[in-house]
This record gives sequence, C-alpha cells and structure tokens, in this order.
Amino acid sequence: MLRHASACYPRECCGILLGAIAEDDTRTVTTAVPCANAYQGDQSDRFELDPKDQFEAQRLARTQNLEVLGFFHSHPDCDAYFSATDLANSWPWYSNIVISVRQGAYDHARAFRANETQSESHPEELQCPQS
Amino acid sequence: MPTVLIPAPLRPHAGGNASIDASGVTVAEVLAALTSTHPALKQHLFNDEGKLRSFVNIYLNDEDIRYLNKQDTAVAASDTLTIVPSIAGGAQ
Repeated sequence: MLRHASACYPRECCGILLGAIAEDDTRTVTTAVPCANAYQGDQSDRFELDPKDQFEAQRLARTQNLEVLGFFHSHPDCDAYFSATDLANSWPWYSNIVISVRQGAYDHARAFRANETQSESHPEELQCPQS
Repeated sequence: MPTVLIPAPLRPHAGGNASIDASGVTVAEVLAALTSTHPALKQHLFNDEGKLRSFVNIYLNDEDIRYLNKQDTAVAASDTLTIVPSIAGGAQ
C-alpha cells in the first residue's frame, strides 16, 4: 500500500482493502490490492477506481473467504484527511485509508468511515499488519 | 434462477444476505424482482426516475452490462449478477 502510494507520486494512488471482521467488529486488513487510477484528468488530486478492479477484488475476496473492507488512496503533498470529494464519492460501511505522501515519501495515514447518509465521516481504527 | 451478489454496504437493506436468487430473463427483470423482495434496496440502486444510479455498476457474470445491452441484457437461470459500487475521490 505504501509502496504503491510512493510509486504513484505525484499522482494519487488507489487500491482495495481485503480482510476480515472479528466478532467485536474489529476490522483487520490482510491484503491491499494496488489498482490503476482510472480518473480521466489531473490525477494529482483525484482518483477513481475502475469497477472492473472492484469486481475482480470481490471475486478474490469470496475465494479467500475474506471481505472487501474498503479502499485506500493517497493525497500527494497534503494531509491524510477525508475530503468533501472523498465523502461525496464514497459508500457507507466501507473503510477508507488516506495516505499522506510528501515529496514522494510516506508521511502519515488515517482511516475514515462515512455515515449511512454520507453527510459526514468519522476516523476509525483499522488493523493493518502488513501495510 | 439467476443469483445476485450483494456488496457489504447493501446487505443491511437485503436482509443481511450476501447473495440472493431473483427471477427474470433480463437484468431489469432480475433487479425488479430483487427490489420487490427487498424494497429498501430500491433507493440505493435506482434514482427517482427509476434509472440505475450512476455510481452503481452491474456485472453479468464477467461483463459490465454497460458494454452489453444495459438493463435489457438477457439473463439465463445459471447467470450471476454482481453489484459493484463506484468509488472515487481526491484531495480537492
């Protein structure tokens, strides 16, 4: 995930998080699938996932008895916040990791989840043993 | 009967199911049967004009129905429809 974020700099990277949900609702990411940024325009501050990549990730998750937990993307030379654009183009339930990359190097990351109406997002803790 | 695979965010509106069998011989008919059984799904899949929302993608087996015959695409009993949410965003 972090390698993908650095490799894509100064463009935003994106990818898909697979993992498991424990009985106490703790989410553990076990696989981060790097994807191409499909946004048709300036990718320095925008990303879009190709639905085909998500379709394949859903299939991979089913075969491994995992769940698509959410998505990750980077903010080149910006903080790791969940922007209005992120919120408007997200879905409830999914976890979203935002990675701050400064001058091509990892700086920090945070995870967020949108509420049911996508009117606001909240920080969340995710377990990512291999990020 | 065709099977519809439901992504996690929509499962609370589909009785908690990850997959649902729904009858129909076109994509439109299968989705109509699905939302008839689970009405709460309708607002998440269709806009007020009854059209599939732009951020909802439907795959028939391995193919995006946008590149087939859209909702008029024929569906066989052994087929699988997958609902795939669109995801985008960015710092600005």
